[in-house]
This record gives sequence, C-alpha cells and structure tokens, in this order.
Amino acid sequence: MNLTQQLVNGLVLGHAYALIAIGWTVLLGVARLVNFGHGQMYMLGAFVTWYSVSRLGLPYLVAVPIAMLAGVAVGYVMQRVMLQLTLRQDLVSIMIVTLGFGYVLHGAAGLVFGSTGQILETPLSLIDVYWGDLWFTWQDIAIIIVAILFFALLKYVIERTGVGRTARMVAEDPALALLAGIDVKKVYLGVFAFEGAAVALAAALVAPRTPILTSMGFDEVIVTFVVVVLGGIGSITGSYFAGLALGLFTAFFGALVSPAYTTAAAFAVLIAVLVLRPGGLAAAPGSR
Amino acid sequence: MSAILEARDLIVAYGGNRALAIPHLSIGSGELVGVVGANGAGKSTLVNSLLGWSRGRPRIAGRVRLAGEDVSPLPSFERVRKGLLLIPEGKLVFGTLSVEDNLLAVGGAPLGEGRRAYSVDEIYDLFPRLKERRGHLGAQLSGGERQMLGIARALRLGPRALLLDEPSIGLAPRLVSTVLDTVKQLAATGLAVLLVEQNVRAAIKVVDRLILLERGQIVTEGPAAIMRDDPRIAEAYLGAHVA
Repeated sequence: MNLTQQLVNGLVLGHAYALIAIGWTVLLGVARLVNFGHGQMYMLGAFVTWYSVSRLGLPYLVAVPIAMLAGVAVGYVMQRVMLQLTLRQDLVSIMIVTLGFGYVLHGAAGLVFGSTGQILETPLSLIDVYWGDLWFTWQDIAIIIVAILFFALLKYVIERTGVGRTARMVAEDPALALLAGIDVKKVYLGVFAFEGAAVALAAALVAPRTPILTSMGFDEVIVTFVVVVLGGIGSITGSYFAGLALGLFTAFFGALVSPAYTTAAAFAVLIAVLVLRPGGLAAAPGSR
Repeated sequence: MSAILEARDLIVAYGGNRALAIPHLSIGSGELVGVVGANGAGKSTLVNSLLGWSRGRPRIAGRVRLAGEDVSPLPSFERVRKGLLLIPEGKLVFGTLSVEDNLLAVGGAPLGEGRRAYSVDEIYDLFPRLKERRGHLGAQLSGGERQMLGIARALRLGPRALLLDEPSIGLAPRLVSTVLDTVKQLAATGLAVLLVEQNVRAAIKVVDRLILLERGQIVTEGPAAIMRDDPRIAEAYLGAHVA
C-alpha cells in the first residue's frame, strides 16, 4: 500500500469535506440554524453544473457561478418560507421543514434531471497528474486551493469586516442586534443564501470526483454534520481542520482497515471527541 | 419645548394580561425624564414598548412619534435607525466583540437633519476608560464599563431620544453618579432622555421631571423639585426625609 498516496487522497477528501461543510458552519455560527436539506442542495448544485456544462454546452467556469446562483435562490426561498420559525429559533420545526425541503428538492430534481446517474466532467477533472508514484487530477488541486482560499476569505470577512461584525452580533444576541439597528431578518436571509451558494460551489468542485445521482445528499449531510460538530459549532478554523482530519481519517482507515466501516469509525471518533471535548476540537478542553 | 418623543394610548399586554396603559407621554428636546416605581410596575415594559422591542412576545398598541414622525408602524431596528435608542437592562454589550468592534459595528449611516453621530474618538474622549479597554472583549468589562459601552454604542447611532433602563443597577455609588451625570450632560446637548431608575435618590438629583408608575399606569408626575416632596415618592422611595 502506498501511504503517501493515501495522504494525498486524504488531503483532497478533507478539503472537499471542509468545503461542503462551510455553508453549514456559517449557518450554525451566525443564525444558530440547521439545514437538513443541505445534502440535496449539494445534489442540486452538482446537477445544475452538469446541466450547464453537458446540456447547455457552457464553459465550466460559467457553470460554477450559475450553480451558485441556483443555490442562492434555493437558500433564499427556503429561509423566506421558514422565517418566522427562525425568528422564534424553533429548531425542531426547522429540522423538519429543512428535511422536507430536501425531499422536495430530491423529487423536483428527479423530475427535471431524471434518475439516471451522470458524470460531471470538467476540463480539470480530465487532466491526470503523475508525480512519482502519486496520482491526482487538476480537479483535486482546484478543490484544495479553492477550499483554502474560501476559508481564509471567510475568516477575514467574519473577523475583520463590517459584514462580519454584523453577523457576529446577530449570532451572539439577535434581540440586542435589533437595538444596534440591524435588520436581523435580512441577515438570516443572507446567511441562508450564502449557504446555498457555498454548497453549490462545493458541489461544482467536488461532484466531478464521483458519479452524480439525484438520490444523493444523505452522505453529504452526514459528513457536514460530523465536520461542523467536530470543529466546534460555528468555528470556521475548527471546521477546516475537522474536515481535513475527517478526510485523512477516512483515507487511512479505508486503506488500512476497510472502507465499509469508515463511516461507523468516523462516528465512533465523533462520539469520543464529544465526550472528551464537548465544544469540539477547536474548543478549550472541557468547554462548550 | 417641542416634543421629540411622544406616545399616545400606549398599551402592552402579555397574553391576556395588560401590563401597561399610558394615555400620554411626551419628552422634549434636552429634557431628562425619570421613571420610577416598584418591581413589576411596568418601567422596563414602558421603555421597551416605545421601541416596539422585547425579549418576550407582548402585544403592543398605541402611537409613538419621534421628532414629529409616527414610528409606530416601524420595526425596532428601523426606529433605532431613526434615532430612538434603547440601552436595555442586563445584557447590553456584545461579549464576543472587542470594545472597539462594539463601537465600529454601528454608525456610519447617513443621518437626518439635527442628528449627530459620535465618532469613535469622540466616544473615547467622553469615556476615557473605554479607550483603555478598547482591545478587551465586551464580556471582560465591569458593570460600569458595560454601561458606558452601551451608552457609547447608542451615541454612535446619532440619537434623537435615549431610553435607559436601570443604568445604575449593580454599580458602585461613585459610578452611579458618574453614569447619571453623563446622562444629564447628554440630555443637555438636546437629546430627549427617558431614564428608568430604581435608585430614586440618585435619579431625582439629575432628572427634570419624574413619573411614578404603579401597576402599569402613571400615578403621578411632575417636576423633580416638586415630586421629591410628594409623599408617595418621599415615603416609598426616599425614606421620607430628603436633604
């Protein structure tokens, strides 16, 4: 077994996981919300990209922003529908509504795109790179670069800009944010729209690695959940490293033990982390 | 004196229970009005309802005018943008933001005529302590520093009227005087100020007019100099003997 190849696989997979989870990280961090339709939004992003490239013949670089726009629209509509639940922080209803939205998206995608598996080929996914015994594609490199840039940019925006301060104020205390003249509803809508765009970007980059199906989404939402919880709810840096750790763990466990038990093992690790460090890997020991 | 802040037929109810009923309230430019009353009299409900804001879910009816404009249909954040600022009781700063970020996070929007937003430097001149603590998180501040920061953040938004809910609560006596003197100075710049206070002895020294609330209703009101001799104030809140 080539351990270095597993390291490469793990790095690519880890950045893919982090990228898929970034929208949820912001959603949880800023709005204290969950979205169990996240996986289906990923599926939609993948299919919009595929449709734009394969059926409309658009360049990949044009298809990516189109997928992101579709994600923004879905995220905005979803939040618009459940805004009152959001303002009341009615998490149980939000879980059910977002789960329902996921199924609606699944059904709608089946009607529009059919139930046949598709391959999303991009100019980057077709170029293999061989480096000694190692193999990867330019798509893999793009995933890593975009993930690093996206996380760095997001961290800068949240910590250093007016938009970030506003988001942090709403995250800490939405009622107090109103007294600072902040339109909290608009922030919530913006956060959901951002999540839609972010997961669509992730899909456009990551989906070319595997065949895409309108029935997919469950694995992605589980991965996202693990990354966000492991990283510490709402922690941008934590999510990045949790994604990376999960990717490396998946690659090495799959190679050294068995791919069949990777998800079970990942959850065992998650349980152990939550018991030992309830706030996730980014939190101080014993803190929340 | 022209009214900057005016309320008519203000009624607040929680569930089926009426918590507040104020037929008329008016505060002029440069006027500092105190609101006193026992716990549960409706003091916080009054200032919160003027802004249409609450951490609970009350039903609020009535008209609120700010500088002649009816702001009743507006949500809280838009009333804030119009210059009606509330410094609430309890949590009043963002604990995860630094002092400077608490200040930078607000202000900068264009203001209407007759309004002035304080710059961060002006805030530091007014509250030098905040300048010393500019890099500290809001959660690391003392009670007095939080009060200063709460007031400072309101000043960054260009207030026409300030609503303060128990600014002296939990503060050392010397700090109470400092905070209330600052409030008095701010009123003197032309702001309309409504000050809810349980520390009647301290409040009556700075307010122009005093309102006594009981069970959500105004029992009596008048100039501070007269109200300090009102037996309902003197006996219940000042120990009957006022120097």
